[in-house]
Amino acid sequence: MKKTTVMIVDDEADFASTLAERLCLRGYDTHVVTAPADALPMLAEIKPDILLLDLRMPGISGHEILLDVRQLFPEIKVILMTGDLDREQTVDGVTLESFQYVIKPVEIKELMGKMDALRESHD
Amino acid sequence: MTGSWRRFFKKIGGVLCGITSNGAFCAKGRYQVLQRRLLVILLLIGILPLSVMASLSFIQYRALLREETNSNARMSAESARQTIEAYLQKLTSAIQILSEAYTFQELADPEQLEQVFAKLNQDFFGVVDLSVIGPDGVQQGYSGPFNLVGKNYRNSEWYTRTLARKMYISEVFMGYRHVPHFVIAVGKKMPEGQGHWVLRASIDTEKLDRFMAPIYSEVVTDVFLVNKNGELQNSSRHYGKVNDHFPLPDIPPMRSIRLEEKDGKESTLFAFGHVEHTPWIVVLELRGYSGKVSWDAFKRQVLWLFCVGITLVIILAFRVARHVAMTVRSADDERNAILAQTEHTNKLASVGRLAAGVAHEINNPLAIINEKAGLMKDLLEVTDQFVYKEKFLQQLTSLQGAVDRSRTITHRLLGFARRMDVKFEPVQINDVIHEVLGFLTKEASYHNIEITHDLQADLPPIKSDRGQLQQIFLNIINNGIDAVGKDGDIKISSFLMNPQHLQVDIVDNGPGMSTEVLSKIFEPFFTTKHNNEVQGTGLGLSITYGLVKKLGGEIFVDSAVGSGSTFTLVFPIIADGRGDALQ
Repeated sequence: MKKTTVMIVDDEADFASTLAERLCLRGYDTHVVTAPADALPMLAEIKPDILLLDLRMPGISGHEILLDVRQLFPEIKVILMTGDLDREQTVDGVTLESFQYVIKPVEIKELMGKMDALRESHD
Repeated sequence: MTGSWRRFFKKIGGVLCGITSNGAFCAKGRYQVLQRRLLVILLLIGILPLSVMASLSFIQYRALLREETNSNARMSAESARQTIEAYLQKLTSAIQILSEAYTFQELADPEQLEQVFAKLNQDFFGVVDLSVIGPDGVQQGYSGPFNLVGKNYRNSEWYTRTLARKMYISEVFMGYRHVPHFVIAVGKKMPEGQGHWVLRASIDTEKLDRFMAPIYSEVVTDVFLVNKNGELQNSSRHYGKVNDHFPLPDIPPMRSIRLEEKDGKESTLFAFGHVEHTPWIVVLELRGYSGKVSWDAFKRQVLWLFCVGITLVIILAFRVARHVAMTVRSADDERNAILAQTEHTNKLASVGRLAAGVAHEINNPLAIINEKAGLMKDLLEVTDQFVYKEKFLQQLTSLQGAVDRSRTITHRLLGFARRMDVKFEPVQINDVIHEVLGFLTKEASYHNIEITHDLQADLPPIKSDRGQLQQIFLNIINNGIDAVGKDGDIKISSFLMNPQHLQVDIVDNGPGMSTEVLSKIFEPFFTTKHNNEVQGTGLGLSITYGLVKKLGGEIFVDSAVGSGSTFTLVFPIIADGRGDALQ
């Protein structure tokens, strides 16, 4: 089975790189983007299987990126990372509640469980 | 320090009582003042015009009555005067005619005089006798009951005046007969030119009473004649006999009636009128008013109406003042309750926002610590054994444990601010209570606290969130265990409150709460658990409050110091999750 490609978009570089390293140790192919503006070009280049997206970022927010991803790369699965999810908020007419999400600080087993489930549903 | 300041401000508040609305007692006093002021104003508004109206109509009516009485008095006096005048005029004319028709010699003849007197007596009642006095002042002829022939009148006042005026009506005097009488005398020249002879008629004054009789009425209580000196000319009812003195105030002018008022026990009015060509003044005494009966009736009616009016005004004023004060009070209470509620909600909301912000900011560094520790652990696991490997792993595990604890706190804070996951599903509330009791019974038994329950068996399921319900009961029962402390009871009962709502009561026999504590227990960060064993965060009950509201329920507390506390939870059987099911 091909390695699952994961892209982490989070402005907290320390968090993103450490999480990437841990996922890497667990056999994922991980890429980190800490500047939200770089997210879309990198997505276009790498085309990951799964996008781990922080919602609260300076400049371009996670919601905007989410909107673009849904339109440009509908095949990329998204898991939202947040300190606090406002379920009533909607993106593209869909409430955030209907997305997969993990709440920070992230439990790595929970995250992996969700990624594997998404991967399986994709296959 | 802060405590003493608070006490100080409380004292100040107490001093300002009545001006500020601090505290229940002050507010009560304020409404009493309001009620009293309203009462005074309403009474004034009611009583003042009523009194003015009553007194005005009283005065007006009395003036009318007085005017009527006065005109009555005038009329009576006038009529009395005219009657007497007419009588005297006719009598005088008759005597004058006699003196013209007969000569002195003819009348000096007793038989002739007797005839004339008989005729005169027939036409005029009251004439006692008729006499003829010669030019020498000696009586020459007499016809009447007294034998006065030969009496000399030369020095009598009436005689000299008659000679002077040719016609004279005397005052009342006793004369030779010693009976009060007056005379009408006419002087006539002797044909030979030797002085005057006089024809004289005596009239018994008591006979004059016949003229007075018709004048008496309900009001006219006395009628009599006096001379200018105030000597009575005939008998009066109240002022004595002939020649008694009557205090005559003023001699009335001719041809008019003078009214004089004398205020005694009963108001008395006198009417005086001069009888023309006589020395007499007719006096009428009038007691009371002519409309006395109607006046008394009027007074009674006015008084009665006034009393009824005043009573009505007082009753109405009391009721209206009370009603207004109560309405204002209940409006204030309602407003205060709404303000308190709003304040509470606002406080919760702002605390919630603050908590969410803090939690969010802490979550990021927490996430980094978590990942770093995780990575270190990952790396250690793929590293060969070294001296402190186990110790390192232990440290990292406890680091992650600390992160977990912190996460629990931040998530609770976030949950406090935002609606957490609510999954509405049919829930048997008794099952939830049993589950929660499963956790707590053991804990309670350590403190020798007995938890009993009385749950209605056939309760319908409610649409609610199982996890949150557990949280609610856990918080309240835990709270009860903490409150009881040691050796006590907690009773839980559930029942159908009405077809739409379930009620759960949680009753403990702990120390209870003061009203001050009671008013704050749902506020965030308010805690009474300050001892070292159990330190409260002050979030438990405020989270519980939020959860109950979120599930569409209501929570009430009833407590008093020394008699335990009762938490009452009410849940709608069909909830829409917006918290308005009870409204």
